[in-house]
Order: sequence, then C-alpha cells, then structure tokens
Amino acid sequence: MKRRTIVQTSLAAGLVAGMVALNLREDDPPSLSKDVPWRPTNWPFPRDAWPQGRAWRRGTLEVYVRPKLGFCGNCETGVTTDEEVDRVTDVDLLDQRFAPVNEGLAVRIGAMSGRARLYRYELPTGVMRHVEGIAVSQKCDLVIAVIAGNLLDERERTSAYRHLESSTVQDWISQALGGR
Amino acid sequence: MTRQSLLIVGLLVAAFPSFAQQQKVGAPPEASNMRLVGWTDLQARSAYQPTIHRQGNRWIAYIGHHGGSDEIPTPVNPMTGKPEPNGTSIVDVTDPANPKYLRHLPGQPGKYEAGGAQMVRICDGSALPKGDRAAVYMLRTFGGEAHEIWNVANPAEPVLVTRIGGLKDTHKSWWECDTGIAFLVGGAPDWRTKRMTQIYDLSDPKNPVKIRDFGLVGQEPGATGTVPTDLHGPISTGPQGNRVYFGYGTNKGGVLQIVDREKLLKGPKEPTPANLAAPEVARLVMTPWTGAHTTFPMPKMSVAEFARDKDGAERDIVMIVNESILNECAEARQMVWFADLSIEKAPMMVSNWTVPEASGNFCQRGGRFGAHSSNESMDPVYYKKMAFIAFFNAGVRALDIRNPFQPKEVGYFIPAITEKTDKRCVKVDGQDRCKTAIQTNNVETDARGYIYIVDRANTGMHILELGGEARTVAGLK
Repeated sequence: MKRRTIVQTSLAAGLVAGMVALNLREDDPPSLSKDVPWRPTNWPFPRDAWPQGRAWRRGTLEVYVRPKLGFCGNCETGVTTDEEVDRVTDVDLLDQRFAPVNEGLAVRIGAMSGRARLYRYELPTGVMRHVEGIAVSQKCDLVIAVIAGNLLDERERTSAYRHLESSTVQDWISQALGGR
Repeated sequence: MTRQSLLIVGLLVAAFPSFAQQQKVGAPPEASNMRLVGWTDLQARSAYQPTIHRQGNRWIAYIGHHGGSDEIPTPVNPMTGKPEPNGTSIVDVTDPANPKYLRHLPGQPGKYEAGGAQMVRICDGSALPKGDRAAVYMLRTFGGEAHEIWNVANPAEPVLVTRIGGLKDTHKSWWECDTGIAFLVGGAPDWRTKRMTQIYDLSDPKNPVKIRDFGLVGQEPGATGTVPTDLHGPISTGPQGNRVYFGYGTNKGGVLQIVDREKLLKGPKEPTPANLAAPEVARLVMTPWTGAHTTFPMPKMSVAEFARDKDGAERDIVMIVNESILNECAEARQMVWFADLSIEKAPMMVSNWTVPEASGNFCQRGGRFGAHSSNESMDPVYYKKMAFIAFFNAGVRALDIRNPFQPKEVGYFIPAITEKTDKRCVKVDGQDRCKTAIQTNNVETDARGYIYIVDRANTGMHILELGGEARTVAGLK
C-alpha cells in the first residue's frame, strides 16, 4: 500500500471513529467534525462593563466565554435559578430581546457548577436562532459561557460542552480567575 | 540598627512602596483633621450600616452586620458566652469616649452576604402616624430572607414586632419616619432581579400594608431580554420633596433613577412595563464601569461661586457613591460623583472625587480600595456642607462639598488594624496571597457632629470628631 493511501485510509478511519463517537452521519455539518478544529476568533462585541472574553468557532457553532469576578448573586449557593442565568448571561450581547425557550437545567463545566438555559434570539437579518447561556461559579466569581448554533441538535450542544471542558478553555479560565 | 541594616530597609522601602504602607498591628492610625474619640470592637463582627439615634437623653448606635467568615461563621457573643450568627449590634454612645455594648441581636445564619442583618433604620413611634408613642422601632434586614421591625425602646431588650419574609435577597432600605412609607429593598420571588423595591406603609409597624412592587422595566415578572442592573438602595425626600432617588448597581452599570414619589405611591400598581415607567421623571445612566451604591439628595444647594450669576445660583444636587467590590484594584475605580439635577430632564455629572491612589499605595495595601458609601444623616450639622465617604483601605474621607462642582478633601482617618482584623486575599498563580488592611465600609454622623465608621474586616466601630480646617468648614466651634 502506498504511503499516501495509508495516510488517507488512516484519516478516513479516524473520521469514521469520530463520527461513531458523536453519532455522526455523512451529511453532518462541520461543527460536528473532529477534523474541523475549534478556531479562536476575535471577541466580536463592543466594550462593556466587563473585560473582554475569548471566542471560538467551529463550523456554525460559536462559543463565547468570560469571567465576571465578584458578580455571583449568592457566593454560597452559586447560580441556582433561571432568573439568575437571565440576569448574568451574555446572551444580550447577541440580542437584547432574547427570550427563554424553556426552563434551565443544572450544569457542570470542569470543576464549576451552575445553570444553563436555552434562549431564542434574532439575527439582524430577522432569522431566529438558538443560544445557550451558561453561568457557573466559584465562590463569588462567575464564568459565563454562551453557545450559539443549531442547539436543537443535542450533538452540537455536546460538542460545544466538550470544547468548554477542553484544556484550551479550562486553562484560559483558570488564568482569568487568577490561577484558581 | 546598624548602618547596613538601615541601608537594606531603605532599599526595600524604595523598591517596594507597599512594604512601607502595609498596615501593622500596633501601628498608629493615619489621620488628618480627624481624631479618634472612642472605639468598640463590635464583637469582631463584619459591619455594614450604622444608624445613630437619640432616645431621650441617650444616644444609641445600631449597627448591621454581614454574615460570619469562613474561619468564624458564628462568633461567640462574650455577653452570653454562646456563638451567635452575626446580626445587629446595639451600642450606647451617649459618652462617645466610652461606648457601651448593650446587645447583640442575632441575624440569619450564613457567611458573608448570605447571612447576618446588614441594614438598619430607626423611627420613633411618636413620629410615625400610627405608631405606639412609647416605642422606638428598628427596621432591619434578616439576611436575605426577611425584613423585621423590633421595638427597641429599651435598646438592651428588643422585642420583635413584625416580620416580612419570603424574599430571595434584601439590602439598603429607606424608611420615612414622618409618613411611615418604607422602600424595602428585596427580591420578590417572581421578579427577575435579586434586588428591587417593595413599598410598604409601615405607619403602623404592627400591621404592614403592601403598596406595590417597583423596579426598572425589564426586571418585572414575565419580562424577557436584558435584565437591568439590580437595585442597591433608594433615598426619599418625602412628601415635601416628592422625589425618590433610586441607585442601581454597585460597581457596574450604575443608574440613578429619579422618581415622582406621589405617582409612585398612588399610580397603578400592577408591575407592567407601562406602570413601572410612569413615575419615572428621568434617569442618569452612568458609565458601565461604575455603579450607584448611595444616591444622596441635596436639593436647593446655594453655591457661593454662582451667587452673582443670573441663573443657577441654587442647584439640586445628588451625590452618588459607587461601591468597590474587588480586592487590590481588580476593577475600575469606584468613587464619588456629584450630579446636577436642577433641570431634571437633563441630569448631568458635574464633578467627581477619589482618594489619590499613590498617596498611600492603596492598590497594594490589601483588600478593597475605592468608595463604598457616604453618611446619610441630614442633620444640619453637616448637611450640604460636608460629606464623609467610606473608602475601604483608605479609611473615611471628609469632603468639603459646599461647592459640589469642586469637592475638596479636608480630612481623613484610617484606623489602625487589630489582632482581630480579618485578612483579604487574592489569587496569585492559584494560591491565596493575603494581606490585612482596614476596610472602612460604612459611615454615619449624629446631630452632635460625631462621625461613626465601621469596618468590614472585623475591626469594630471608631467614633471620630473633626479638627482643624475640617471643623471650620462644618462651622463647629
């Protein structure tokens, strides 16, 4: 077998294995492909009260993360209600008129726990999209994440959560929280 | 000390200014034109609001506390010998040189902001329209879950009168003693914010009557989209002034909302966007980097500098104090702002003031540096002449505000730390790096002119008086 063929076969095998792991199909979008890396992008939002965060994109999936130091409403319990997620999330950076789709759920990102909620928002073109607002905490500090994409596909959501738990994101969060 | 040792110390001081500025137990306070009269340790409990009230021929200080700390969640009350969750300290300050601790009234169990009884206001029963004339009522928060009214006619033996519970947070309420109207800061369970206003008629403290819920449009139940900044606290000018000034935000997204009191109290009460917007006269949106902790009104201030001007010799001023919340300057500077509301539809910031950081290397001293709150007494002794600003590790600062367009510092006092002063930490490379510094959190004055400052880091309450130029500004002998 030629070397080129071996490489191509290996790549194809890897792709198939990845598709099986994520329950992928041939016509699945690039956002679900392990061969498409998460690429860092510029923080696209105008300056506001909080320091700029980090942004990543893979296919149509977008992830935005930033800490909000000292902003947790209850340092003892952390984020436990949907109202708290509404209050602290950065979903309003995408559309200030965002509306919840359903009740939120408890989540854990790395070592931090909190709550997430799915919202609907409108692009400037009038197209409706979904976005998930996530707020997890460590003592009084919050880490806010926003996932935009086709979140009705559970696999896309899972893919984004895996990225949030990757060393790339976790290392940056740790640094942003002062190394904690 | 040898010459070599002196040289090493000198080099250290030159290389690391914070080395020279770090507070040490046993070192004297730092002061200018302010003098320590008396002190009480408040049982080494983290302190928030002090309120000083004249009861007959006695002067009583009521001090609200935050919850306990990780190390000491429930400090022992030496008077009972039992651990008690931080609540309210009641201190007789008739002789300010010898304050007498009368009673600790426990608050909600919980640490830091999650427990305690931070806020306290006092009204005489004889002032309230339907109060018991023999009673003195203390309105306090009970952690984040309730407001309580106690009869403190005998301040050593408070008696519970009323409880308003079922909340998800509380904070800096305001109570009009002449009408009984109370603007209670709390979190109604169905609202989208943890702090909004619940307005009650507490003219008869035994029978609270709810008037309405109030907040910024977008905070009400059922709203969607961005949730406006949480309320911090309101101050009302009563029926005569007919204005309530609401301060939203602590260290971010500050909003001063100017509200028509009569429309607020008598308007439609359903929390619809239209009904919430109706009583608003105007609002001043601050930079997202600053909040509005205290919004202290000073209407009809005569400004000597403008005395010969055809217009504007008298100004309606609101002093806005931001709150620093992060240790060692990990945020934008929080300070004092003066807004001119003479033309209400066009409120405008006209000045600000902050402690120069380099004057004490305050960003390196440890704990918070920046403003937190001002005195709120409207007694003539200082009103519209001087303001006292709690500035955390920079102590209390005395400002000459007779010309609010150019506020000027005329005194300060930074208390000494004690063995009980709690440390403040930041994370450096994943490890706690802790320093101990004074954290002057709140300040209040009494009609005699004494200044009371309390410490968030468990150093107690210091009772001060003015000296030198500061005394002259206030018109004190």
